[in-house]
Amino acid sequence: MSRRLNAAQAVVVALLVSCLVLVAVELAKGAASEPAPKLANPCRPRNVQPSGFDATVQRIVLDGFDGAACRLHTTREELVLSLDPATGERRWDPPTIERALRAGLLRAVDDAERRGDIPGFVAPLLRRLVESAPIDQLIRGGIGLRDLLGSL
Amino acid sequence: MKPGSTALAGLLAAAVAIAFADSSIVVLALPELYARFDTTIEGVAWVITAYNAAVAVTGLGLVLLVHRLNGAAVLACGLLVFLAASTACALAGSLSFLIGARTVQGVGAALLLAGALPVLAALKGSAASGARLWTLAGMFGAVLGPALGGVLTQAFDWRAIFAAQAPVAALSLLAVIWARPEGAGDEGWRPSLRRTLVPNTCLGLLFGALVGALFLAVLLVITVWGYSPLAGAAIVSVLPAATLAVRPLERRLTRPTAVSGGAALLAGGLVGLALLPSASVALAVCALALCGTGVGLAVPVLSQAALDLSAGLTRSGTLTIGVRHLGLVLALASIAPLLANQVPRAGDRAMLKATAVLLDSPVGLDKKVPVALDLRGAFARARAGETPDLAEPFNAHGARNDSKLAATRDDLVGTIEATITRAFRPAFFLSAAFAALALLVSAVFRRRNVA
Repeated sequence: MSRRLNAAQAVVVALLVSCLVLVAVELAKGAASEPAPKLANPCRPRNVQPSGFDATVQRIVLDGFDGAACRLHTTREELVLSLDPATGERRWDPPTIERALRAGLLRAVDDAERRGDIPGFVAPLLRRLVESAPIDQLIRGGIGLRDLLGSL
Repeated sequence: MKPGSTALAGLLAAAVAIAFADSSIVVLALPELYARFDTTIEGVAWVITAYNAAVAVTGLGLVLLVHRLNGAAVLACGLLVFLAASTACALAGSLSFLIGARTVQGVGAALLLAGALPVLAALKGSAASGARLWTLAGMFGAVLGPALGGVLTQAFDWRAIFAAQAPVAALSLLAVIWARPEGAGDEGWRPSLRRTLVPNTCLGLLFGALVGALFLAVLLVITVWGYSPLAGAAIVSVLPAATLAVRPLERRLTRPTAVSGGAALLAGGLVGLALLPSASVALAVCALALCGTGVGLAVPVLSQAALDLSAGLTRSGTLTIGVRHLGLVLALASIAPLLANQVPRAGDRAMLKATAVLLDSPVGLDKKVPVALDLRGAFARARAGETPDLAEPFNAHGARNDSKLAATRDDLVGTIEATITRAFRPAFFLSAAFAALALLVSAVFRRRNVA
């Protein structure tokens, strides 16, 4: 029997090689790694540079979520999904979530003031707002200039 | 050949193809059945399992007595049962009735497939020609099933899948009664079927592996990637197209090379499906093409070896019908729980990742939390059986007019699809293991040089 491959056998070998090429392409496209994004540790600060009032307020609220998640030993994402009991199981009761969120938001205001993201005279207004505004309004991003003026 | 024999042979080949296609034909209709009968995933899976289990049990049971029966009578009986059961499936008003009718349809299919072999042999003038036609019809029917079902489901609804089978069975039955094919009588006792053990084991394992290419790939494309049944059918039709395209190559290879090469290609294609990094149609099509090529190389050769003419065409045919469907049932029984365990967990991971994408996106805070909570609602409905519409929560909050929200939606849908696509990985790998086992058994096939 000849040791050389005939044309038909060569096609089979080429098809088998194409299996390997397919696998190599898939690995190169990230098949072996977990799809992005990775869930961040909420107890570690994030490197975000806000620009403008809305972005600064958003960062404070998101940092507040991080702070609350860190207190509850969970991720920011799981905490957010726990905010509405109608959409799934809730791991914590509402008062626990509210306490953690207000504490997290107050901490985020302190951090923003320390970084210089907000002027010194705005920080007390924001703290007052965090302490007194309905939690639902805070987490759904209802903080605007009107709220700040209203808290004066 | 008698006049009209060619037409009858063609009709019977169509009936054989449909009986094999029925193993997987309802896969693309599963979401519709799920919604129609308000059932569980396990419940709706029985629509597929019941048919395959009935064919396997009936086929294996028939091996003991089929050689004593008249082939044309077995075929006519099978066609009658298949026709009645297909009509009942199309009219089913409850899931339990549908599963019952599918079981009866499986019994009819086993009788039809067993009886068609000797009749086709008689019509074609030789056992070898009849067996070849039966093998080809069966192979193409098996790989065409999901695409055929997808087209019918999209064009009409799930009932059309069964309604469309009834006329083929009815015409075949009338033709058999009218033609009364000769030479399809009692085969009498023949030697042992032991020689067909290796090719049949290989076939059982390869049909088990096909669960990955025919069932899992279809579910992935329709329920996770969100394609319509028709688009899904177009994607998976690359598999039968590759099976057809490789036919000339198969004829030019030695039998052992075709079998081991085919099993290796099927395993490779399934590994390719397992390693899909995201919802990539191009990569899935390549992997399915490799699977189809593998089937086209290995199955005809193994089928020929499994149809041992010296042991009786009908008997050996009935055994191979039973073993193939047994392979399908075993694979379904091992893969379904794996998938049922992996997908919900992946759904939870995908939801958390999607929320991360949303929170980090340049979208206003007034939309982030409401959209995240609405998405969670969409996922909860998906667990209850609905195909999730992930774009709807975004559109409800103005994604049609907000380019940033629309970009976040596309990014997030990609993340969810990539995460859930990977949940299918263990099941695809298990399917590939079936093909790899077939490759090992094919080494025995090569050593014994059965071919």
